[in-house]
Amino acid sequence: MDPQLFIWLVARATGVSAYIALCLSMLSGIALRTSVLDFLATNRALRSLHDFMTWIWIPLGFAHVTALLLDRTAQIGPLDLVVPFQVGYAPVAIGLGTLSLDIVVVVAVTSWLRRRIGDRSWRWLHRTSYVAFVLLFLHGLLAGTDFSSPLISSLSWSAALGIGLLAASRIAFGRLPE
Amino acid sequence: MPAWSLKLSAACITLFVLVGSFDYAGGHLKNPAAPLQPPVADGPAAASSAPGPSPVPTIGPLLTTRPGQRPPSATPGPRLTLAPGVQTASLPPITLTHTS
Repeated sequence: MDPQLFIWLVARATGVSAYIALCLSMLSGIALRTSVLDFLATNRALRSLHDFMTWIWIPLGFAHVTALLLDRTAQIGPLDLVVPFQVGYAPVAIGLGTLSLDIVVVVAVTSWLRRRIGDRSWRWLHRTSYVAFVLLFLHGLLAGTDFSSPLISSLSWSAALGIGLLAASRIAFGRLPE
Repeated sequence: MPAWSLKLSAACITLFVLVGSFDYAGGHLKNPAAPLQPPVADGPAAASSAPGPSPVPTIGPLLTTRPGQRPPSATPGPRLTLAPGVQTASLPPITLTHTS
């Protein structure tokens, strides 16, 4: 197989799977506060899953951006991974992904530094992951090559709607009654 | 459900999506409905691959001048001109012709 073709396939596959891994991370994170998955597992197990998912989506996200860096057709530079809206074509669609990446990196790093920065600061920074998820979804919608596929589109939309519903219930009701 | 089974399930789901996406992308290399269509760069490889007109081989004047003789500049000698579509062969040049 042509190396450039392989890189392009890796970029697409890791993009979709990183999104799904982040959905599972979000789901387990929201479940800690809403009790929607109490029928499935204890909060301790869900917290363990939430921490574990970090080690799934980080490598996938890293592989996604690395593959795009190596892909000659994508024309993404190292600066585009940090500074949004700089790409020559489709700056919004790609910039949303950059912005989302910046936020999730901040969320992950501040989670590891939670004891140093304090619970209150950590909590507010951690809440920006909702914004990152919305930006990530829009990035997939506007830039995803496979988003027009019925299977991947239904998977992405249902995951996003499920998390959106849980997030709305979390905001409206706090911890749901058992 | 214990934590390890949750982790295993989540890892399996992600792996399944990864493999499935790779397989799907391999079967649909080009998606005309894709929202992003990056412009193709005009690199040197693209420029060199464009077909150009083949050089026209010419043969100079066949008449030679002796010392002291005026060159026949007024009347140009015959020139052999090939059409642009005709290409030279990679065979060795003919150096000897036999006439009976």
